[in-house]
Amino acid sequence: MRQFASLLFLFGFAFFLSVLVGGLPFGAAPMQVGQAIVEQNIEATGAANAVTGVLLAFRGMDTLGELTILFVAATAAGMVVERRKHGVSRDSVAGFILLAGAELMFPFLLILGAYVILHGHLTPGGGFQGGAILAAAFFVPFLANPGRAFQGHAMAFVEAFAGATFILLGIFSIFREGDFMAPMFLGTGEFGQLVSAGSLPLLYLALGLKVGAELGSLVAEIAAAPGSDDPLIEEPQAAKDL
Amino acid sequence: MNPEILIALPLLAAFLLPAARRIDASVGIWWGPLVVLANLVIAAMAWWKVQLIGPQSIALGGFAAPLGIELRADHLGLSAAVLLNLAVLLLWPRETPDKARVSTILLVLTGAGCGLAMSADLFNLYVFFELVAVATYGLAAANGKGEALIASLRYLILGALGSALALLGIALVYAKTGTLNLTELGGMSEALSGPAGIGALVLMVVGFGVKAELFPLNNWVPEVYAHTESRVSALMAGIISKLGILVLLRLIAEVFGGSPGLEFLLWVGVLGVVTGELAAYGAKDMRRVLAYSSIGQMGLVAVALALGGETGFIAALILMLNHLLVKPALFLIADAWPGSLKALAGKGRARPLGAVLFVLLALSLIGVPPLPGFWGKYLLLDAIFTNVTEGAGLLVGLILAATVVEAAYFFRIAARLFGSGEAAEESKIPGLPAVAALFVIAFLALSVQTGRVGDYLKEVVHGLQPQELRMAQSDFPDPAASVNGKGERL
Amino acid sequence: MNELLSIGNLLYGGAAGLIVIGLFAVVARRHLIRVLLGVAVIEAGVNLMLVAAGFRPGAAAPIFDPQAISGPMVDPIPQALVLTAIVIGVAVLALGLTLAIRIHRQYGTLDTVALTRIVNAPAGSPESRAMMQRGGGGHES
Repeated sequence: MRQFASLLFLFGFAFFLSVLVGGLPFGAAPMQVGQAIVEQNIEATGAANAVTGVLLAFRGMDTLGELTILFVAATAAGMVVERRKHGVSRDSVAGFILLAGAELMFPFLLILGAYVILHGHLTPGGGFQGGAILAAAFFVPFLANPGRAFQGHAMAFVEAFAGATFILLGIFSIFREGDFMAPMFLGTGEFGQLVSAGSLPLLYLALGLKVGAELGSLVAEIAAAPGSDDPLIEEPQAAKDL
Repeated sequence: MNPEILIALPLLAAFLLPAARRIDASVGIWWGPLVVLANLVIAAMAWWKVQLIGPQSIALGGFAAPLGIELRADHLGLSAAVLLNLAVLLLWPRETPDKARVSTILLVLTGAGCGLAMSADLFNLYVFFELVAVATYGLAAANGKGEALIASLRYLILGALGSALALLGIALVYAKTGTLNLTELGGMSEALSGPAGIGALVLMVVGFGVKAELFPLNNWVPEVYAHTESRVSALMAGIISKLGILVLLRLIAEVFGGSPGLEFLLWVGVLGVVTGELAAYGAKDMRRVLAYSSIGQMGLVAVALALGGETGFIAALILMLNHLLVKPALFLIADAWPGSLKALAGKGRARPLGAVLFVLLALSLIGVPPLPGFWGKYLLLDAIFTNVTEGAGLLVGLILAATVVEAAYFFRIAARLFGSGEAAEESKIPGLPAVAALFVIAFLALSVQTGRVGDYLKEVVHGLQPQELRMAQSDFPDPAASVNGKGERL
Repeated sequence: MNELLSIGNLLYGGAAGLIVIGLFAVVARRHLIRVLLGVAVIEAGVNLMLVAAGFRPGAAAPIFDPQAISGPMVDPIPQALVLTAIVIGVAVLALGLTLAIRIHRQYGTLDTVALTRIVNAPAGSPESRAMMQRGGGGHES
């Protein structure tokens, strides 16, 4: 009965969707605002990558919001999860090849992540993509050897510093330009150079570090959660966090 | 002082908190309330500035409206920001094992709520809405109890589903119009009058309605409110649910006024009122009665919003303000009477002040004159008779029937409280917690000054969309004036 | 033009299909991990819809290249919006999974019917205590 009712509902919803989607123009995007941004992007932001211009300059507040969502999700996950002792793990350590491979990949992933972040205003890529690569650099070794200690302390400071930088750059621009989150107080620079497009590279660097640290700590929280057959650690929450 | 600081300051403080508490553990305790207090002062200053020089539009980052994101420093947004900061400060949770992380979450909630109250960009509203939502998933689980975790997960699933549907609605609007700015969308109503526009409104009502406790996706309400600390329930029922409505209010006032999709919101509201009040009648414990009654009240607000026009919007705002002050006080007073309703017998005589105030506040929810809840329902009925041509009788009948049910269960509780029963053993919770007393005082002030508040709400509504509303104004009788006249006689 | 129509049908139809598949998991499945994954599939469908909304035939990616001949570009805004929406979806999914792990550890089940019974049991009742025991109730599908 329940199955029947849900199927009926789905058919209804599918019909509703097909009516909605049927009325949409395809391949004839209205480009109301998009065209204006494509035309004004270089002059306004100096960034070759228009998506970067939209993310960090035109819609910077959205990016701050999404950054904060990652942060608050990681915080809430850290509040909910029980921790098991470091080194106590149900999951076995991976074999030599995986362990050595993870160690070997670490510096290359760091370099690639840094490259993707710093060239975000010129080429495809940027803070989110690069941040995800940075996070992978840290949790690939962690996946290979699940029992190892996670650098929570250092991570907390990177996280706080990067997040604060993103907002402080915004507040700083109030004094220079009069507007919050105006990224152009450094000048747009020479188009196509690494150091150009105002504070966009700085913003992307802060964003990348923050995203990397948040994704890393989210994975660490999930990995630190004891499985169903691990013994509980009776430890007061406050003691765990300090 | 730029109103953007209202968003930036709490978020900055939240980012710094995890690192700061590793240097000094006590930071986790005082940092959060202090920052919210500072934010409250800034919000009050910004609110006063709007009183002096009128509503302002802010182009974030200096990029003018359709290209960048627009914030509205108007009466509605800043009033909501002041109330949000005040409510977070007063209802700071106490029974949490992890104070520092809860502080972080509350700081984010404050900043995001201020952003949500002011934003005039469709996607930016979605981002802040989602930020508020994730913060409340964390808050719902903050006391670490197993039932609270389950409630939080089920709330998260409904919330994520709702957000995805709301985003689908936003995608439809963007595909149709190519812009996200509410002002610009307001001038493109013919592009949004087809099925895509109506469907988008329906999807956004469902999606944003999750937080506003509106009909289809509100299963989470009783579960979450029954298992969190009473202060968290008070915060969520009091102000967070209003933020969800605020989004819909802006959308309807600026973009979707007169859209056929509002019919959907109307019936969502009516179903919310009817199901909420019936479920509250059947509920077995105090927390769930209050939770279901909250669903019913938000349903009324949705009906008022759907009717629109000046009368409808003012009715919605009065109902929201009434609920905002009454429900937190009820949750805090009811803290002294946990568990089953049957255990209430005779408890009122042990704490007469708390019980009497409980009944007084409940009377306002029912809508007994001269309390503010009465003016809300009165204006709502007025709006129904003015705006609805067919089926007004059915609508009014359903709402009045729901009110009768509401009165029945509140009177049953009152009868139990003052009825016979063994003298209750004294617990440590006082009959009237200090914070509840503050809410009661604010409520009494609202009751006495309904006329003035009504005048201000009229200004709030006019600030939303100047031209069209002033044109429509002549069609309606002057409701705030009638509130004023009758309010002063009482 | 015919080709364009078929691409459009593929993208919009695919988006609608993903949404319906995800919704099926949400309404018909009882295991909460599957429900969470259903929500993730819905989000994928919505994101596809959003990106498709910015499509223009023959247009280039919105990245300026001084060497290239400048032609029309696709709308950069939906791409930025989707990037934001994906990150939001990941964050919510991660929090949901963390909650699910903790709940499974405490109650031994993620069956939504069994969990509803726990949440709605009156406080301190024998039922709520019995469910506290690991493996005490419910079954996983």
